[in-house]
Amino acid sequence: MRSKGIRQYLRKIWVLCLKDMKLYYFKGPTVVMGILMPLFIWFAFVVGKGFSFTESLPMLIALASFFTSSSITPIVMPWEARQKTLEMLLSRPVTINIILFGTALASSLFGIFISSILVIIGLILNVISHNLISLALGIMISSSCYSFMGLLFSAVPSDVPADAVMLSSVVKLPLIFISGIFIPISELPDYIRPLAFISPLTYFSDLVNYSYGCNPLLNPLTDIVILFFLTIIFMVLALVINKRTLMRRL
Amino acid sequence: MPLENVVEAYDLTKTFGNIKAVDGVSFRVRRGEIYGLLGPNGAGKTTTIRMIIGIITPDKGEAYIMGYNVHKEPVKARSFIGVVPEISNPYVDLTVWENLMLIGGIYCVPKEVRVRRAEKLLKMLGMYEDRNRKVKALSKGMRRRLLLAMALISDPDILFLDEPTSGLDVISARIIRSLLLKLKKRGKTIILTTHNIDEAGMLCDRVAVMNRGRIIAMGTPEELKIKFGKYTRILLCFNKEVDVELVKKHFDSYETIIQGRRLIIICKLRDIEEVLDQILRIVRTCNLNIEELQASGLNFEDVFIRLIRGDRDEI
Repeated sequence: MRSKGIRQYLRKIWVLCLKDMKLYYFKGPTVVMGILMPLFIWFAFVVGKGFSFTESLPMLIALASFFTSSSITPIVMPWEARQKTLEMLLSRPVTINIILFGTALASSLFGIFISSILVIIGLILNVISHNLISLALGIMISSSCYSFMGLLFSAVPSDVPADAVMLSSVVKLPLIFISGIFIPISELPDYIRPLAFISPLTYFSDLVNYSYGCNPLLNPLTDIVILFFLTIIFMVLALVINKRTLMRRL
Repeated sequence: MPLENVVEAYDLTKTFGNIKAVDGVSFRVRRGEIYGLLGPNGAGKTTTIRMIIGIITPDKGEAYIMGYNVHKEPVKARSFIGVVPEISNPYVDLTVWENLMLIGGIYCVPKEVRVRRAEKLLKMLGMYEDRNRKVKALSKGMRRRLLLAMALISDPDILFLDEPTSGLDVISARIIRSLLLKLKKRGKTIILTTHNIDEAGMLCDRVAVMNRGRIIAMGTPEELKIKFGKYTRILLCFNKEVDVELVKKHFDSYETIIQGRRLIIICKLRDIEEVLDQILRIVRTCNLNIEELQASGLNFEDVFIRLIRGDRDEI
């Protein structure tokens, strides 16, 4: 009986995830914030510093995972509230948690898909990770972590997706400069360095660096464990806060 | 033994800011009946339905669906119901078919059953040919029919419809009404809100009339008509248009409706002689001819209006 309940719970999450994939992968904010933004940032940096693709692939993977995984989650709730589909969903046998898990899953899979394409392009161009397992694990955990982080921004009780996108940009853009992607953490000013360690991007960036043989700051296992705990923290916060603000949306 | 009351609401109360939207609403809906929640705009019908299906939490009171407390076991309770909310849309970027499959999936209806039901429902609602069209290309009436199909894809025991035919063309409204009557014949319980009194009189077994967040009357449409049996409705049709000022002057203590050459007067039975006297006076003074005269009990619309007014003016 209990296992049937769990199976139905997971099935509903998957159904809602498929719906989000169909609806949101090609929405403007997703394409701009999830694909074009990391690509342009990476391109500007590579051109400016004269790096090769080989040297800059880890950076691109970290940026892609961060931006793609957190691009869908902020917009789904405001969008659904605006389109008046949220109430339609909530009047079915689902809870807000099921809806949020479905969205987070769709977002994570989007991040994993885009990051994996980059890893495959690297393989084709002979830029090969020396530890594909830790890279794969890192991509999966970080994508979940960033998608739940994005879900936190969707808790703003607004039905204007741009509000959530703006808030997420205000937080996400500064993070890429303090997470050891463009500037190694050891070279950051002393007063900024502690901030690097509260950024979820730091640990994935470090893990990608390790996977491609660059100098990591931390042990890869430490990166994975911290990313895992950050995922749990973001998940709990996202579920609790979205639940609290739900009534103001309907 | 199956439950007799499939939906129960006890003392539901909800306040938004300083406004008490719903104030101590209680009622029970029996298995297999069509129950109507009637009232003017802002009466609290939609808020009541939203509390019963668990969309919003009441400040006070409880609601049960098939014996399950909606706020303690929302998923279980909602698995028995299909809902057509007033404030909602299907996914406009998905096709008609994809919307149906999505909702069927949420109810965990097996795929082959979902497909079979979707085909049947779309044919019944005259939308089968449009199944591959995106919802954004559909008219309002078709979207409403699709919402009804989405509510029925799980073959629910209970159907909640919030203003099901509001703003629809005659054809769409008729299709929906006829489907509701078919569903009732199949033993489904239907709870609908409406401000269309004719519709309620036509469809509902029992109604609850709401005003300002409270239920002010409850019963079958016939019972409510009997309750107002002391009133008479006099309909007159003259040979020319009626002078509004003249009518106001002669019938200022009665409820009157003027529609061109037609005059409707609602009065108590004991006042009928005086009213007829006044009518004859007008006829003589203005040189009018009476082409038609009917006297009858109140229709359901008249009853409804009196109920709402009575509540307001405490007549």
